[in-house]
Amino acid sequence: MFDFKESVYIALIAVTTLSCRLLLAQSPDLPPGSVQTKVTTACTECHESRIILQQRLSKAAWTKEVDKMIKWGAVVDSADRDGFIDYLSTNFSPDKPPIKMPRSVSQKK
Amino acid sequence: MLSRRQFLLAVPSAAVAAGSLHSFRMWAAEEPNVYLPGEDGMIVRSERFLDLEMPPEFFNSWITPAPHFFVRNHMHEPSTVGVESWRLSIGGEVERPLTLSLKDLERMPSHTVTNTLECAGNGRAFHQPHVPGIQWQKGAVGNARFSGPRLRDVLQHAGVKPTGKHVMLHGLDEVPGKVPPFIRSIPVDKALDGDTLVATKMNATALSKHHGFPARALVPGWIGAASCKWLSEIKVLDKEFDGNFMKPGYRMPNHPLKLGESLNVEDSHVLTALNVKSVISSPLEGATVKAKVQQVRGAAWAGEANIDKVEISTDGGTSWQEANLGREQAKYAWRLWSYVWKVPQSGDYTIMSRATDSQGRVQPATVEWNPSGYLYNAIDQAKVNVRL
Repeated sequence: MFDFKESVYIALIAVTTLSCRLLLAQSPDLPPGSVQTKVTTACTECHESRIILQQRLSKAAWTKEVDKMIKWGAVVDSADRDGFIDYLSTNFSPDKPPIKMPRSVSQKK
Repeated sequence: MLSRRQFLLAVPSAAVAAGSLHSFRMWAAEEPNVYLPGEDGMIVRSERFLDLEMPPEFFNSWITPAPHFFVRNHMHEPSTVGVESWRLSIGGEVERPLTLSLKDLERMPSHTVTNTLECAGNGRAFHQPHVPGIQWQKGAVGNARFSGPRLRDVLQHAGVKPTGKHVMLHGLDEVPGKVPPFIRSIPVDKALDGDTLVATKMNATALSKHHGFPARALVPGWIGAASCKWLSEIKVLDKEFDGNFMKPGYRMPNHPLKLGESLNVEDSHVLTALNVKSVISSPLEGATVKAKVQQVRGAAWAGEANIDKVEISTDGGTSWQEANLGREQAKYAWRLWSYVWKVPQSGDYTIMSRATDSQGRVQPATVEWNPSGYLYNAIDQAKVNVRL
């Protein structure tokens, strides 16, 4: 039976989800590098770039992260694994300054 | 270990010394605001998965309004949850497995608990050396009134068998790739505690989607991860659940580790109740203030314990004065506090706050490093410049 209340709620969730999907274009690019495109493709399949941009890790810590993400389904050619680790540990090392994260606004200007 | 102040000063200096600051900022420039319906002024740690942090200025309310209440997601939120079609199953070591609808929950007696919910990783950004994960600073925490039937009442409908020792909680999080599902368990004693809820409301209105609509567990005084969102399955087990988010996730080493050392899972324990902790919400770190009398404000909480006192130092920790605790209080809820600081003269000051709880726990000057950056609770600091 048609349930108006439930339909409205599902529609609201769909709009919210669509809004979030549209916002993906706002996620910042990863920094230039030989594997930038491959890292972007492999990582942002599941999560956006800011999760990477805010990390400040040693090479040993990045190695653990890359291997964990491969285990969790990130598609990384075995020939690219070391390149991923080098790229991430060079660009997101402990000596880099922290980044300032954006604020949310509930109204579009 | 570096203090937070040393860390804040040292990191940019090191980057400048390495000549990397300019090129880094080329692509990591400050971003414009992010449009998120219903969420105003939150720090966007991630849009997908959505992770929102409450900025320090929102610690000004004893009850945190839902739009200011932090959001922590490990994976995608459910894309659809139907009010009518949603079901909660209760099974495992029970006499009568059953399935409840939202209307069934609404017909059960409702109980309200005011609870300070804090992500176990709150303050992770202050750990040195850095650890992976969302880099929360102060605001992966909020205080709200949660309402709904007691988990105890739900379990009693099903009848927990004597073999039931732990209660597994599973939500509708949408799992990407081969990521293990977000499932956790709590001991049956905590599940049967009269303040542990299947919460359907937050601050007297239905839970928002980001906070677990239509129902979430509310495990008061414990790390936020225990309070699973979008709850769909409760299963009574004869032993603790041992999936990824119980083991190796959300565990602390039994003994201090060397900096950078990995966790030995067999020599660790699962996280439960929160630490004693206070944070300074005003003045803000780095602020310049001009009044001779300053109101220093903040919040303090202690999981299952009560806050006994909050002390403030404005001379680098040499002397401490007691702050006034706010009138509003409840078991499991934070206390707001304030302190009137009569500034002797212009200059640079570091304001520090230190909480003590009813179990005699005192906020430490530094915390033991752990590889996931859990339960950071070092004495809080705010460096300010006073110009009289």
